Amino acid sequence: MRGQHTQASLEQEQVVKGYDPVVMRRIIGFARPYKLAAILALLALAISTAGELLLPVMLQRAVDEHLLATHRRFDLEQATEVQRQLREEERPVDADFPSDSLDPDAIVALLQANQITFVRLGEALYVLESEAQRLSGAEQEVLREHGILEPDGYYLFPLNEDTREAAGDELIAENAETGAVPVDVLEQLPEERLRRLRSHDIDGVVRVSLVFLGVLVLVLIFTFAQTYLTAYVGQGVMKDLRMRLFDHTVHQALRFLDHNPVGKIVTRLTNDVETINELFTQVLVNLLKDIALMIGVVITLYLLNPRLATVVILTLPPVIVLTLVFRVRARTAFRRVRHAVSNVNAFLSEHISGMAIVQMFVKEKRTGRRFERRNRELLDANLGEMYVFATFRPLIDLLSTTSIAAVVFFGAHFYLDGVVTLGVLIAFLNLVRMFYRPVMDIAEKFNLLQSAMAGGERVFSVLDHDDRVPDSGARNLPRPVRGELVFEHVSFQYVPGEPVLKDLSFHVNPGETVAIVGFTGAGKTTIANLLTRLWDVDEGRILLDGIDIRELPLSELRSAIQPIQQDVFLFDDTVAENIRLGQPIGDDQVVEAARTAQASEFIERLPHGYYTPLNEGATVISTGQRQLIAFARVLAHDPPVLIMDEAPANIDTETELLIQQALKRVLAGRTAMVIAHRLSTIKHADRILVLAHGELVEHGTHWELLQNGGLYSTLYKYQYEGLER
Amino acid sequence: MITEYRTLLPYMRRYLRFYIVGLAALALTSGGQLFIPQLLRIAIDEIAAGDFQIREITRLMLQLCALAAIIAVGRFGWRYFIHGASRRIEVELRGDLFKHLLKLDPSYYARTRTGDLMARATNDLQAIRMASGMALVAAADGIFMTLAILVILFVQMPPMALLTVVPLPLISILIVSLGRTISRRFKRVQEGFSRLSENTQEAFTGIRVIKSFVKESYFLRRFGAANYDYQRRNLELVIIWGLFMPAVTFLSGLTMLILLRVGGESVIMLGFTPGEFVATLNYLEMLTWPMIGAGFTVNVIQRGAASLARINQVLREEPEIVSSPDGRRVAPHTGIEVNSLSFRYQDDAPDVLADVTFTVEPGRSIGILGRTGSGKTTLVKTLPRLIDPPRGSVLVGGVPVEAYDLGSLRLLFGVVPQDGFLFSTTVRENLAFALDDADDALLRRVAEIAAIDRDLQLFPNGWDTVVGERGITLSGGQKQRIAIARALAKDPEILILDDSLSAVDTETEERILTGLLEYRVGKTTVIVSHRVSTLQRADNVIVLDGGRITQSGTHHELIRSDGFYREIYTIQQLEKQLHH
Repeated sequence: MRGQHTQASLEQEQVVKGYDPVVMRRIIGFARPYKLAAILALLALAISTAGELLLPVMLQRAVDEHLLATHRRFDLEQATEVQRQLREEERPVDADFPSDSLDPDAIVALLQANQITFVRLGEALYVLESEAQRLSGAEQEVLREHGILEPDGYYLFPLNEDTREAAGDELIAENAETGAVPVDVLEQLPEERLRRLRSHDIDGVVRVSLVFLGVLVLVLIFTFAQTYLTAYVGQGVMKDLRMRLFDHTVHQALRFLDHNPVGKIVTRLTNDVETINELFTQVLVNLLKDIALMIGVVITLYLLNPRLATVVILTLPPVIVLTLVFRVRARTAFRRVRHAVSNVNAFLSEHISGMAIVQMFVKEKRTGRRFERRNRELLDANLGEMYVFATFRPLIDLLSTTSIAAVVFFGAHFYLDGVVTLGVLIAFLNLVRMFYRPVMDIAEKFNLLQSAMAGGERVFSVLDHDDRVPDSGARNLPRPVRGELVFEHVSFQYVPGEPVLKDLSFHVNPGETVAIVGFTGAGKTTIANLLTRLWDVDEGRILLDGIDIRELPLSELRSAIQPIQQDVFLFDDTVAENIRLGQPIGDDQVVEAARTAQASEFIERLPHGYYTPLNEGATVISTGQRQLIAFARVLAHDPPVLIMDEAPANIDTETELLIQQALKRVLAGRTAMVIAHRLSTIKHADRILVLAHGELVEHGTHWELLQNGGLYSTLYKYQYEGLER
Repeated sequence: MITEYRTLLPYMRRYLRFYIVGLAALALTSGGQLFIPQLLRIAIDEIAAGDFQIREITRLMLQLCALAAIIAVGRFGWRYFIHGASRRIEVELRGDLFKHLLKLDPSYYARTRTGDLMARATNDLQAIRMASGMALVAAADGIFMTLAILVILFVQMPPMALLTVVPLPLISILIVSLGRTISRRFKRVQEGFSRLSENTQEAFTGIRVIKSFVKESYFLRRFGAANYDYQRRNLELVIIWGLFMPAVTFLSGLTMLILLRVGGESVIMLGFTPGEFVATLNYLEMLTWPMIGAGFTVNVIQRGAASLARINQVLREEPEIVSSPDGRRVAPHTGIEVNSLSFRYQDDAPDVLADVTFTVEPGRSIGILGRTGSGKTTLVKTLPRLIDPPRGSVLVGGVPVEAYDLGSLRLLFGVVPQDGFLFSTTVRENLAFALDDADDALLRRVAEIAAIDRDLQLFPNGWDTVVGERGITLSGGQKQRIAIARALAKDPEILILDDSLSAVDTETEERILTGLLEYRVGKTTVIVSHRVSTLQRADNVIVLDGGRITQSGTHHELIRSDGFYREIYTIQQLEKQLHH
């Protein structure tokens, strides 16, 4: 039954896997309780990204509509005239032109079809330059050829007394609300007149600025909200995952825990979970944002101007190729660095721990050289990684500038064709820069994604492995628990082929104190392990008050039979908490237990009495005092059966005396098995079991055994104390 | 703070050329970047004017591409030289740190945790690298770019445009001030993390108590509290950290806002051309990074100084056990003489050894028995000066140990310590640790004596099996036997076995000792042990109790007289009977 599990350990080969959908799905599964926060985070992400994209667009609108505000004029008189001529000469309108007529109605229809707003002043239509470019190049060409679309720009303004006066003689057209002047004229106007004429635009700039500020604030708030919310989800998932891991691991059988060093368990619970955290806070969010931003930029580019957008897209293939190459190279370089780093660190930590050996063997020089070699390897790996990054980033920057150059070059052509305005061109310059910003990050994020996957895999492999002591017992102990113990033909081995207990049978009456005596390796401690079901017997059975302990619920068994271990383990908490161990026991009961255990005296002398924290490896507490705290612990929990592994350590005489007194009180009124190392303990026992090689060789009272003249009497003769082995 | 950086000077001087070339490349890059907005300005203005030649634009854009290529080269250059220098300095500093560590006494390692030294060799060196590389770049670039851009804005743009830079210094201030809070909270997160680790570590170390007292749920709650606390600390960090980039974006957005408002009006009033508007926009974007860099530099330099202080602390540590200048290199013979040796670790501590006197003739062996803490290990450590004994109290070959060249003295000895520390490498390399070139026949011979040969056949890769942390886990006995073989391979004049057979069963032990003493005929051997069966092989035995010699003599003498030796002997005899 055992054996097949003994190899079950957390050992994992270090395969760095790429994206693993199963692991990913399980990680996402842990995010389910945080669905609302996750949705809000995505929402915030969408809003902040949209906001960031909106900013350059707003800038463009401001430039086109307010800063420049140049209008194109469509001359309707000329249109009528041209149409008349065409009809006379029976010439068709140019094939590229969507309408078969060039009369004013057709022009108006054309503008309306392209959703271009226009202002009619006299026999001319005025259209904002940025809107005029919605007409195709061919259409504009036709109109320009026929002199309908004029090359000169016009400035339009709301007409009132003030602006009429400011425009003065330059006013070339007007209707009730709007006036127009040629753009060239503006430069010749004195400043004061110019300001009055353009006060409408200045107001517009102020308005746009305010909206711009609003969007900025919005971006600020939502970017923050998104960062915080994702961190909240990530941290929440980590917390739950760690909790699950702890809960799962703490319930595993000792078999499992003995095979996995504590350090490894700690790493799974902390570092490995932490790499998954990166997945949320770094990868998912940034990747999503980066991708959203890039897609957003492309969409915006197309909305602004499909032709120029296509130019930008055409400059992208080198970027994509470069990024793919970089990803591979960076990964290789990164792995090499990680390998070299772990080599150097392992060498360092090992040789710091083993420095005594190095110095004993006078190998300082050679060790120094060996370290130097690893150190150099690390340097080479680091430099290799640096080369990759030092080439990639500048190259991406170069490509980004090249894209911009292409935008300006083609933009200039399109501008000549009238299909692009200056504002759009400016917006493009900004957007292209925005597009290139995440390119460098994305490639790096993929590496993080990989390590998160590896961490996730290790974590889940722990969760998938389940090896608990079966806790299926459903019978309850009859109350009150009498504390009668029976071992029936019990055999046990930790490692197959090395039996520790062989067909062991004995009987302990309620309230009796039994001492177990024997040399190291006789199986004494194993008896304690079996009684509390830290391990299960291989053969035979153990009965408590007539019930097989496997038929009892674990919690019931373990509250009935409690151990005092040899090396008393104290947790990093207060003295009181170490006695209580989380049981709802009142302060006075704790004090009472400590007093009975003879521990109150030294506890009260501690700096904070019962509230003195006992740190790990607490040196303030001596071995003997630890023993007394353990007594108090047991007294506070008051189990009907006690199993004590006495400490063989040399304890100062004063404490030793306290322990002896306390022990009597601890043992009184309960069944006790004591794995004894002190003569006095043995003498006070009701009965003594002598164990050798997992078998019971003698039993009886101290006097009976002495008279028998067997193993015990020989042991006794040479004093059962004071020796270390 | 800055004085800590003095340690770095010699290293930086060595790479002065790297730094000069790197900074020149940086200047080229930054200067080039400054021209980009100019070229764009000219192009945009020409386009805006309407009557431009496409050829002119083509020429400008080709210039732009050429400029970008130069910048790319410059960028590669400064990264190559400055990062290269800082990486090399990091490696050299780490090398020197380790060389220094090689010199420090065992007592230094007794009071210093490995983890602490590791943190210095990794995290602190990393912080120093950042300070000697990135911080320098950020500082140089920041100052250059800021000044240059401000000058350009002053000269070329209407004075109004200068208003736009007002929010930018706020970025630096924000980073410096938030940087402090962030590093404080970050530290709290790290503390939370170690608490969580300690909590886990503790729970699984004390797992027997937890299970025996059915306290799984209580400890789950305790862990839950630490877990929650760690989560909270993380979120506290995120509140500030998460504000960071949005705030920077906001502030740099504000400059655009000001440009839009002030510059926009200026364009309307024709004081400012559209091209100038775009150029200013570009310059402002360019200023954002130097401003972030300025704040970043302050933080990195501070952190670097703190880390350098921690490195300097180690480098200032001086070894107490030093080799005598022109010390003896050859021992006249290999006898040992200890004359009324008393030793204490600290002045106010009790004596660990008191008035210990004994002699071992060259080529003979001595056994030492005593309880834990009786001073056995301290005693044998004074022989090869792993602990410095008072002058003249320990003599090897009739010469006081401190009169030897330290290396030559230690080369006389082969020490097998209690714990049998092995390096995590192959068995072969461990055995050959003392040798410069391993002779297979010799290794096989000592493996046979140390009775590790049979185990080797069972190891997955035989002699090339990696042991320890990165290999297979060995039992205590296997470790001890390999450690014995390692010392034997050196064929030392004096062999010290410090309780180094404790985890080996008695029969194997007997086999090892018989072979070992046969192999070492004519050489001195010191055997510390708790087992009489081991000690009886020694020519003489001394018994230590509380740092004093309480008994001495041959095995046969000692079992005939009352005392600790005979007590132990009797009990071990008894035990032997029981086992057979």
